[in-house]
Amino acid sequence: MDLSWIVSGIALAVLIAWYVSYGAARLDRLHSRVEGALSVLDAQLVRRAEATLELANCGALDAASALILAGAASDSLEADTADQTSREAIESDLTQALELALGEETLQHLRGDEAVGTPVLQRVAAANQRVQLARRFLNDAVTDVRRVRRKPGVRLLRLAGHAELPQTFEFDDELPMLGRGD
Amino acid sequence: MRIGIVSPYSFDVPGGVQLHVRDLAEHFISQGHFVSVLAPADGDTPLPDYVVNAGHAVPVRYNGSVARLSFGPLTAARVGRWVESGRFDVVHIHEPVAPSVSVLALWAVDGPIVATFHSSNLRSRAMQAAYPLLRPSLEKISARIAVSEDARRTVTTHLGGDAVVIPNGVFVERFASAPRRPDWEGTVERPTIAFLGRMEEPRKGMPVLSAALPHILREIPGMRVLIAGPGDPDPIREKMAGEAAAACEFLGPVSDEDKASLLASVDLYVAPNTGGESFGIILIEAMSARATVLASDLPAFARVLHGGDAGELFQNEDPIDLARAVVALLRDPARREQLAAAGRERANAFDWSVVAEDVMAVYETVIFGRPSVRTSSGPDSRWARLLRSGRNSGGT
Repeated sequence: MDLSWIVSGIALAVLIAWYVSYGAARLDRLHSRVEGALSVLDAQLVRRAEATLELANCGALDAASALILAGAASDSLEADTADQTSREAIESDLTQALELALGEETLQHLRGDEAVGTPVLQRVAAANQRVQLARRFLNDAVTDVRRVRRKPGVRLLRLAGHAELPQTFEFDDELPMLGRGD
Repeated sequence: MRIGIVSPYSFDVPGGVQLHVRDLAEHFISQGHFVSVLAPADGDTPLPDYVVNAGHAVPVRYNGSVARLSFGPLTAARVGRWVESGRFDVVHIHEPVAPSVSVLALWAVDGPIVATFHSSNLRSRAMQAAYPLLRPSLEKISARIAVSEDARRTVTTHLGGDAVVIPNGVFVERFASAPRRPDWEGTVERPTIAFLGRMEEPRKGMPVLSAALPHILREIPGMRVLIAGPGDPDPIREKMAGEAAAACEFLGPVSDEDKASLLASVDLYVAPNTGGESFGIILIEAMSARATVLASDLPAFARVLHGGDAGELFQNEDPIDLARAVVALLRDPARREQLAAAGRERANAFDWSVVAEDVMAVYETVIFGRPSVRTSSGPDSRWARLLRSGRNSGGT
């Protein structure tokens, strides 16, 4: 009688220990995925801002558009990486500035200029595509972390430790005129 | 870049996923990347030299159809060995929830993982039952790709999160350069239309076409119907009205070259599929070959045909509407020419050179600043290692 109690007690303890270590490892992996995805997004945003500066300075745009673009791009480059809310606004502004600057006429003009216009435009398009990808992958990772951290067992045992609850990164990154066909 | 690609389905049998994997691998190899594909196969099947055999494939009933899959501890051990020896920068797993090499690879890998979802019917009973087991390994995926909007919707509703849509690719040039065959070309009196695909599979739409034929032949008695694809024509013929059966010519399974020539030669390519198509690669192949396309208005088809600009749409499962559209198109060469030209233009958006560049952008995004792929240090791979060492000392 006593022995079976001891055995089940040990079994239960082992089970809990396994759950804790497994859950902690899983959360740890998820958090590092979020961190990785965030640093990728940081890097791609810098790339996009640099490509935008290049576009602003390529000489093919009118002075007003160039100024607006340069302003938005340098705001993005100087943004405080810790303040997510203001960064979201800054990046949306940059997207809108690009959308305004790249009107039908300007696009045609840039595409016609194969020496300077086309490569600069391609760099902006490629950088923006990677920003879209990076943001989507980050948000997927954040969604996964938040879902696991909502689980009662994880909350009860505080498996997430002191790690901050990550937020999805929301800003406008659609530049339809640079897209392909659809 | 060192790329590892995992295909869950055996290369012995042709299928959409396998072809996708093969084309993607060959495109990246031609660009100078190192690519290794892990796929199940039977020992005596000749494989391209970039394919690593993951083990014998067994026909299994799963998710409503029979697939040739590979699983079990030996396969798991091979997967682990492939990951260890490959030193990949990124591992790209196709159909990560197929109970085959893909699921095993997902367990065995740590690091940048990209997954592509092909299917638009994901929620099988097995998936639901094994979900808690699968969930943690699905969380390892850094980037999800869906081949169509339908596949993406399946991912978002059943797995949560989102997926990037990157369509299937086609080597447009292979179809564009296909020679026309005079015996498949139509004349004014005897125009030709083509049907491609397994005819006894109702979803491919043969019954709809059969029902439409008498109506078409009443208007255009000389029309020839060229039917290419595996299957026994006799039961199909028996179900048709006499004059309809007489108008049909069954070509049997055709080679890739003949398929391209057929599409290039006929006056009209008809795709009466009734459902289950999440993408419709065949339409893009037809457009590449400069065929005029008439397809049922499935959402996937409508999207590929750009809402009807690049090919005509008829009401799904409606033989009368199909007959009306066929007759109208066969009587209007100018309209056919216009659709064929628009289709050829549209096909370029799906060329592998464009599509693979999008996939490469995903790879570059996920591996940015991260260490390359290694075997997972979890308990599962420790088991795999134990098994492996047991087998090695067992003397093979």
